[in-house]
Formats: sequence, structure tokens, C-alpha cells
Amino acid sequence: MYQYDSLDRDILADRSAEFRDQVARRLSGEITEEHFKPVRLMNGLYLQLHAYMLRVAIPYGSMNAKQLHKLADIGRRYDKGYGHFTTRTNLQFHWIKLADTPDILDELASIDMHAIQTSGNCIRNVTADPYAGATADEIDDPRVWSEAIRQWSSLHPEFSFLPRKFKIAITASAKDRTVAKAHDIGLMVRRARDGTLGFEVIVGGGMGRTPFIGPTIREFLPAHRLFSYLEAILRVYNRHGRRDNIYKARIKILVSALGREAFAREVEEEWSKVGEAGDLPDTEIARIRGAFSRKAFETLPAQSEVYDAAVSADPGFARFARNNLKPHKRQGYTIVEISLKGIGETPGDATSDQMDVVADLAERFGQDDVRVTHEQNLVLPHVKLDDAPEVYRALAAAGLGTPNINLISDIIACPGLDYCALANARAIIVAQDIARRFADQDRAEQVGELKIKISGCINACGHHHVGHIGILGVDKKGEEFYQLTLGGSGAEDAAIGKILGPALPLDRVTDAIDTLVDVYLRERQGDERFLDTYRRTGDAPFKEAVYAETH
Amino acid sequence: MKALTANRLSDGEVVFWKAGTWVERFAEAELFSVDEPAILAEGQAKSQPTVVVDAYLIDLIESEGLWAPVSYRERIRALGPTNHIHHGKQAEGGDAILALQHAHGAARSSGRVNLIKRK
Ligand code: HEM
Ligand code: SF4
Repeated sequence: MYQYDSLDRDILADRSAEFRDQVARRLSGEITEEHFKPVRLMNGLYLQLHAYMLRVAIPYGSMNAKQLHKLADIGRRYDKGYGHFTTRTNLQFHWIKLADTPDILDELASIDMHAIQTSGNCIRNVTADPYAGATADEIDDPRVWSEAIRQWSSLHPEFSFLPRKFKIAITASAKDRTVAKAHDIGLMVRRARDGTLGFEVIVGGGMGRTPFIGPTIREFLPAHRLFSYLEAILRVYNRHGRRDNIYKARIKILVSALGREAFAREVEEEWSKVGEAGDLPDTEIARIRGAFSRKAFETLPAQSEVYDAAVSADPGFARFARNNLKPHKRQGYTIVEISLKGIGETPGDATSDQMDVVADLAERFGQDDVRVTHEQNLVLPHVKLDDAPEVYRALAAAGLGTPNINLISDIIACPGLDYCALANARAIIVAQDIARRFADQDRAEQVGELKIKISGCINACGHHHVGHIGILGVDKKGEEFYQLTLGGSGAEDAAIGKILGPALPLDRVTDAIDTLVDVYLRERQGDERFLDTYRRTGDAPFKEAVYAETH
Repeated sequence: MKALTANRLSDGEVVFWKAGTWVERFAEAELFSVDEPAILAEGQAKSQPTVVVDAYLIDLIESEGLWAPVSYRERIRALGPTNHIHHGKQAEGGDAILALQHAHGAARSSGRVNLIKRK
């Protein structure tokens, strides 16, 4: 993984000292809340319902064991012994004291981490494929480009006060695990016929109150021209973005107002002005690439006796292997996905003890590499098949063996009204109730891939727009109600879901999900997923069943 | 009936006004049956910027013979998150907590007096 140099470390030390001074001045009354709030937000510190919340950046969702151990330690000492992994592949601590924050930032800096650019109208943490460097179907390692973007965009003066926040995703596989098409910029690595590496550039996707699947503005951008092109996009946005209206300030609104062609033309024009001076030298990319290619893979047989024996002896492991292990590019290795969706638990929460277990496993069996997925799970990307049974047993002993990746109980939920000052309704308890209803793993596997995503308000932090089933909390005359959307997807076949009908009260949501599943099982043909069946039949049978009783 | 609430500056803790000072338990909050002293207290609270952030009045209703915030959001603030029932003020338990947990009728939009939509 990428190693900080002394420059990176100096920046963090300075930033932390600066914030310490700012906090002291706020507490003494020297500066007002009005002046202080933007400063604390620039350091990832929000005030939520019960306490301050600190959002720690996990660059492109990638960290090592030492870092995860430290996050566990911070959770234990400054929070209530846990942390919450989010759809932005960051970690949020929900019970932070303002007065402790400078110390926490120092602790983070000690392991090359921080909370910079986790809030505010700047370029946020890049989302990258959590299977990067491990999956067979990738064209290139997206972390190389993510890290280059991290360095280029960190404290970039021109892009620190954009009209609104800005999120970039990069994927290099046919299977998109980043929701690239619902980011401000989605980059899909492509290889031209002559072998040249490049990107398909998608701009203007997003969720929130006006969701869009981003259009492609350039089919193929040669990789070595990436940074001048990004600069051109951001300049066009900086110049024309709607700073006058927060609801129209995201780049998606600009792209949709101008239209894809006109926007692309503006970018091309700006790009010609930026020229190659705006690009990173190939030597710099090569230097960064070097940091990601030091994995010591062994030459192993494709088949592992230990693994095969465990599959036949232990049905628990067999189920885990079926759902949570994914093919690795090297034979004899596997990708282990760790579900943070224990049945009845809070999606994305991990206790400090659990973080320590995962960090230990990464050290012992996983080449010191841990990833966070946008679906609020963790990944050990490089585990030998020989070690998989032992890894599973250690995970299961720590309550991390839930074999439900991509199944109906692998639900995304934002913090919602249990924590968030902007929420209309709770999201977590809805997820917990649905997961309990589908606790029977046989039934869950029979239902197959089904992505439920829940947000507590229209900001859509819980990605409900792209859920196969999306659930949005709304406030109806002061009661928690939930609007269902069907047919969304955050994958390569990205789509925004369609509202099914009037919002339902809290106590009817799980029943409605059950009904939707029944309709799917009745209608499904062959090995269709829920999404496929919905796309074929349309919403009529689903709508009819869910609203039958209300008529 | 009304109460005055805020978050404490130093740690973000939810606090309630009680005769010029702040307490952590909703059950100990000062109750205002008429508006004038409530508004006066709100003004005083706003002049304590190094003690609390964002003080505002909330409406209350009766629940099991005790008072509870009308708004569901405010009840969650007074209790803690419903997904972790050992976190936050609710961990203490007791009748006052139960009364809050059992209160009915909810409103984010109607519980906060003079609600100014915040970003
Ligand atoms: C203090 C808590 C939070 C605040 C104040 C907040 C605020 C917002 C706002 C205002 C938006 C809408 C942006 C727009 O439409 O322009 C948004 C979108 C989003 N947030 Fe959050 N959020 C919070 C927590 C979270 C959490 C916990 C996550 C991850 C689980 C998250 C991830 C996202 C994502 C993925 C989007 C949608 C993508 C986009 O349009 O940017 N946020 N958030
Ligand atoms: S979707 Fe709404 S309720 Fe959920 S975290 Fe985002 S702002 Fe809060």
C-alpha cells in the first residue's frame, strides 16, 4: 500500500496543531460558533443529535492492520468501543467530544490518517473497487489512480471551495462495485484496441433529492491525460456551478441543464487550454504504482485440500464460502468479504474488538490489507484458500461470520434519525427488522441477490435510489413513513429506482418487503435475480400485492 | 408546556435548561407552562455561547403522567439511539426513561418551536 512521505506527515502535524488552537479558541469564546463551524467541518467534525461525530477518511477504502488497530483503539478510548463504516467507505465515530478531537487527530496522524476533506465543498474521498489488486477481471489497479487523485486533490487551492461537494469513483472491472455512475465523476478503466490504457469518463451522476445516472462525456480518455481532463471538468464546474442554490449546486444539475454534448464541449475547450502541463508525469504514476505492486504471492495449486475438507465437514463454512468468498486472480487465493450485517445488528457497525480481530487476521493471513466496501462491509483481499477455514472460524467467533454478502439481509442503512440531525425517520431499525425476518439463511439464499438500501431522508446517504428495493424515510404529519422504490441498481447496470406507491407506516415495511419477495419468487423465471424479474414484469404485480390490503 | 434544550459545546451532550444552568436528564428540565419566561430563558441561553450550541425551545406532551417531548426526534435526543439501547441517556433506565420511550405522537417538524430549517 502507499506509504506517506515526510511531506505528507508534516501536513498532518501542522493541520492537527492548527485545529488544536482553533478548538481552544472556540472553547474560550475567542471565536464564535459561526466562525468555528466551517473549520470543524473541514476536519470532519459534525454535531449530530447526541454528540459530535468524527468522520475519518479511509482513502479509497484501503488500510493496513496497524491503522485498523488504531481505529479500534480510538473507538475504545474516545467513543463507546465501536465505529460505523459508511457508504463512503469512511469510518464515523458517533460519540466524540469536541475537547478530545485534537488528541484524536494526533492519534490518527500517528498512523498516517486524518479527517481532511471528509466534509465541505471539496473533492472527497475517492471510491474504488474494494477488490482492487485481487480480482481477476480488472484491467488495471484502480488504487494507483485513486492515490494519484488523492495526492493531486488534497488541499488543492482551486478545488477547495467548489460550488458543492465532489465525489469521484474508479473501477477497473466489468463488474462495478463502486456505484461509479452515481458519482460526480465516475471513471471506468478501459483498454483501447491498441492496448492503450484509458478511462471512460462519466460525469454528473448523483443521488440526493435529484438523482441521476451520469452520462458518459468521453468514451476513451488516454490514462496519461487524466489530470488535465479532471482539471478541465472541475474548472467548468467551478465557473458555471449554481452557487446561488444549494439544491442545484451539484455538478449533476449543471450537466443536465447544459446537456451532455454541450457540457462535454465546454470541457474539451477548457482541456485544450489546460494542456499537458496539467498532467502528472508518467514517472510519478510509476512511483505510485510501485507502492501497490509489492505483494508476495506464492505459487499455489488451484485446489486446496484443507479448504475442500472444511467445505465438506463444516456446513457453516460451506455456506460462508458460497456467499462471502470471491474468486482471486491468483490460484490458491481467495477474496474474503466480511459482513458487517449480523442479523439484528446495526449495518456498518464494528466494535473495537471486532476491528482488532480483522486487523489481526489481515496481519496473519491477509498480507496486511483491509478494504471497506460502499456496502458497509470489510474485505480481506488476499487470503490463501488453505487459510480460509481458520479465518472463517476466527471471524465467526467474533460475530463476523454472517454468510449473507449480496443477500437480502446485507442491507445498507444510513444512521438516520437515531443519530443524524437532518433525518426524517430512522433507517437502522428498519434494516434490523427486515434482516430478522429473513434470518433463515436457506430462504435468504433461495431469494438470492437482493440489494435493499435505506436512507433516513432524501439526501440519500443510504443509496436508496439505487437499491433493488430502496426505502426512504419521510415525515408524514410527524410520523415515520417509508417510501419504497423498486428497480434501482448501483452496479454496471445502474438505474434509479421507481417509486412504488404511497409511503407506508413503519410497522408495515417489513411485511411489504416480504410481499415483494413472494411476488418475485412467484414470477421469477430461470435464474433471474429480483432485479431481473422486476425489469421484465414492471411494477404492476408488485404494486398490486403490496397495496392490495390497503384498498 | 415547553422545555429548553441545546447541545453542550465541549462534548455535544444533549442538555436541558434548569434555572440558569444545564442538566443532562430531561426529567430534571425546567418546565415552562407559559411562553414569556421560556422565551426569556432562550435569550439567556443564547448568551452562553461557550457553554452550549444552538439552544431552542421544544413542545411537550403528557405521557404516563409525566412530560415528554412531542417530537420523536426530541425524544431520541432525550433518550439515545433506538438501535443501541445501552448508549446515551436511556441506559440509566427508570420511570422517567420509560415514560419517554412510551410516549406517542411524533413530529420532527412540530416539536421544535420556531423551527428554522437548518442545512
Ligand atoms: C452528519 C451526518 C451527515 C450529513 C450532515 C450528511 C449530509 C448529506 C447531504 C446534505 C447530502 C446530499 C448532498 C446533495 O444532494 O448535494 C448527502 C448525500 C450523501 N451522503 Fe451524507 N450526510 C451524513 C452522513 C452520511 C453517512 C453516514 C454516509 C454514509 C453512510 C453518507 C454518504 C452520503 C452519500 C453516499 C450521499 C449521496 C451521494 C451524493 O449525492 O453525494 N452521508 N449527505
Ligand atoms: S440520508 Fe439523511 S438521515 Fe441519512 S445520514 Fe444522510 S442526511 Fe442523515
